[in-house]
Amino acid sequence: MIYDYIIIGSGLGGLSAGLNLTLNSKKVLILEKNSLPGGATTTFKKGRFEFDTALYDLYNYGNSEHIGELQNIFNEYDLSIDGEVVPFNALINALDLKKPYEIKGNIEDFFIYLEHLKPGSITNLKKFLKVIKEIHDSILEIEKGVKVKNEYFLKYLDTNAYDALIDIGISKEIIPYLSFLWIQLGSPLNKLSFIDYAEFMYKIIFKKRVVLNIKNMELIFNMVNKYRDKHGKIIFNAEVVNINKNKDYVLVETKDQKEYKCKHLICDLMPRYVYKDLLKATPEINKLENARTIGANSLVVYLGLNKDCKTLGLKHYKYYNFNNLNSIINIKSMNSFYHSTFEAIVPNVVNEDVSPKNTTIMVLKTDYYGDAWAKVNKSNYHKLKEDLANNLIEQFERYFNIELKAYIEEIEIVTPFAFEKLTNNINGSMYGYMRKGYDNSINRLVSYEDEKDPNISFVGGSSLFGNGADNAIKSGYFITNKLLNKDDF
Amino acid sequence: MENITELKKVRQDIIKDYSAKDILDTHIDKEVSKMNDLQYVIVKDIIKETDDTKSFILEPDVSKGTRELAPFKAGQYISLKLFIDDAYVTRAYSLSSSPSEALKNFYRITIKKVPNGLVSNIMFKDIKVGDGLTISKPMGEFGYNKIRDEENVIAIAGGSGITPFMSLAKAIKDKDEECSLTVIYSVKKEKDIIFKDEINELNKNKNINFVITLTEEEKDNYLNGYINEEMIEPYLKEFNTVLMCGPKGLYQTMNEILLKFNIPKKNVHYENFNVMYEPSEKNTYSLKVIMKDEVKTIKCKSDESLLISMEKAGIKAPSSCRVGICGFCRSILIQGKVKTIGATQVKALSENDYIHPCVTYPESDVVLKLDI
Repeated sequence: MIYDYIIIGSGLGGLSAGLNLTLNSKKVLILEKNSLPGGATTTFKKGRFEFDTALYDLYNYGNSEHIGELQNIFNEYDLSIDGEVVPFNALINALDLKKPYEIKGNIEDFFIYLEHLKPGSITNLKKFLKVIKEIHDSILEIEKGVKVKNEYFLKYLDTNAYDALIDIGISKEIIPYLSFLWIQLGSPLNKLSFIDYAEFMYKIIFKKRVVLNIKNMELIFNMVNKYRDKHGKIIFNAEVVNINKNKDYVLVETKDQKEYKCKHLICDLMPRYVYKDLLKATPEINKLENARTIGANSLVVYLGLNKDCKTLGLKHYKYYNFNNLNSIINIKSMNSFYHSTFEAIVPNVVNEDVSPKNTTIMVLKTDYYGDAWAKVNKSNYHKLKEDLANNLIEQFERYFNIELKAYIEEIEIVTPFAFEKLTNNINGSMYGYMRKGYDNSINRLVSYEDEKDPNISFVGGSSLFGNGADNAIKSGYFITNKLLNKDDF
Repeated sequence: MENITELKKVRQDIIKDYSAKDILDTHIDKEVSKMNDLQYVIVKDIIKETDDTKSFILEPDVSKGTRELAPFKAGQYISLKLFIDDAYVTRAYSLSSSPSEALKNFYRITIKKVPNGLVSNIMFKDIKVGDGLTISKPMGEFGYNKIRDEENVIAIAGGSGITPFMSLAKAIKDKDEECSLTVIYSVKKEKDIIFKDEINELNKNKNINFVITLTEEEKDNYLNGYINEEMIEPYLKEFNTVLMCGPKGLYQTMNEILLKFNIPKKNVHYENFNVMYEPSEKNTYSLKVIMKDEVKTIKCKSDESLLISMEKAGIKAPSSCRVGICGFCRSILIQGKVKTIGATQVKALSENDYIHPCVTYPESDVVLKLDI
């Protein structure tokens, strides 16, 4: 039997692709190497805590006023998502600041703070909102293949985020305060395309973020069950070890020596892994891959604390700490192990049901660029992993003046090694490819038709739209729509 | 649309100048490719520790592709996988050697002979020096965690429950772990003490203190009787972490004792190697197992886990920890009423009918989907 599509990997991107294809009556098989679906999006249990790994608040879902693309996609998939919009609620610290600053409420509240920092800023901040709105509309047109005429879009198409913000008239002093969320995109402002940055800020500011009332694993199973309802097939413990392109079909071979055939293959995997380990790459592909930069990898520490977040003094949903608030300076410190850039999420602040009564979950994450891990081997792995996690916890305690250690009931530490083992992401990267100059998401999008492989497509966090759960889900939908319009089988 | 065409061209021009050579592995890629779920080892030596306990020294079996042994953290276990009567059977054993010895490419596991024990009897009777074995990578979370735990560690060991603490003591001696360890070790008689010479040697270290109590005889240099409050009290400091490994009865007694010392629950950790369950009535049911390539219907008993029933019937069911934690045996309950003992799983999994056959007992006829 030849499937219309085989999808390797049942992460958010793969499941989204599977749902869209089965909805359109295609014969689809998902092959998942692990015994459970979800890939990086999962839930694990330790003691009395259930920790979510990937998704805390969903971007691009939107609200009644600004409907996000994901809301439409989920509607099409007939999946209902139960969640609530969360306002800004973050505490941001940098070693070059006298004290942390806080963002609470809506964008207006944040702008009032920035105006207070630098009187006279408000006019250009409002202009910034107008610009990102228009750029967002232009991206929608590009995605539909419509010719874009918008002045700002064309003007900033080849401009980095820093230069564009200056051009809009945002003062140098305000930019670092406004743009601390660069860390979510994994690129400093001078490498980041303003188009990518504007789209990201549009999502945060207008569509806001939605906190789901279900665990990551529940969302994944909702998707799997819906996919199965539409006669989609999924096989677990089926690790693909080889891909062969034939004249009429693509042949996929699994570790247990089974073979599956399809007309078109979709990989919810990092392309570099596919071309390095599963399929012989062409010289053109090798050039593309050698040109791209792998994004940061991360150390993630999950803590189960035995007091409620109020008692612990954890008032903010998110905490950010930087060596330097200026992303361009800051990123230089992130090639080494002992830097001070990290973020923390306390899901209990927005949803007290995420852990048992009188307990708190905290997730600490820090990122590394380049080959920070090159000296790590089997003889120092366990010790270093604990040292790094310990350092991270102690830094949080020091910079935010909140005690954690005495309350740690459960702890789990995830390294890039473990993350690569789970996902096959090259270098254990959590960000896929780095958004950098010509390799920002907008560049990938405009070059998509020219660069795509006729037999193999890619979805997920390493594909077109970059890292993030929303981008992974959107990529699965977007790519399969392109395929559905084209396919004549 | 000049700008967009221009944008594409810039990208093409940059990519064009890069090397067309094959993509290289990063350091992390290389290390990850060496991580295997299974390891092939050769029995290098067998040491008789007591009348009913033997240690096995395991080295990598290069001929089967295991070049070096995976590192581990003191307290972790490996799961031994034996092929008996046409079926795979697994048993979890704590590593009793030190983490630094794994880097020198050997592990030690220490096995107590259990009357009628399927695996331990084979290990005692049939396994000889030079034989090949299949084991899992090191797994489990039990042990000292310097972030979570207090520096004063009281370990309670019953019988062969001493093994993870041997590893921890050695790790402290090697400076791989930094804590002060008191092991209160309960055995029946002096002749039942495992690692007696090693314990005497380790006791010379100022951060390691083994205290042995004999429950079935009185002798000089040993405490006498079951572990009680008076035995523990001298070693307690303001903040303590308690680690326990032994039979279930020991845990129950200890929990009562620890309550009196006001040691918070978060500072008490168990190794859980034996899940016990006594159903109110004993019945035999039918168990239909749906696998990738075949369907088999076998008998199962209400006092035997579904995993054991499958193993007895020669079904190659996956397993590893056998106490409901690792998830290797995870299967889907298609039909039937069952009772689950021990660790609970993520709610979303239970809601989707996932069960762990290693800790699940039938209460009716059951249909199970394996190889999911």
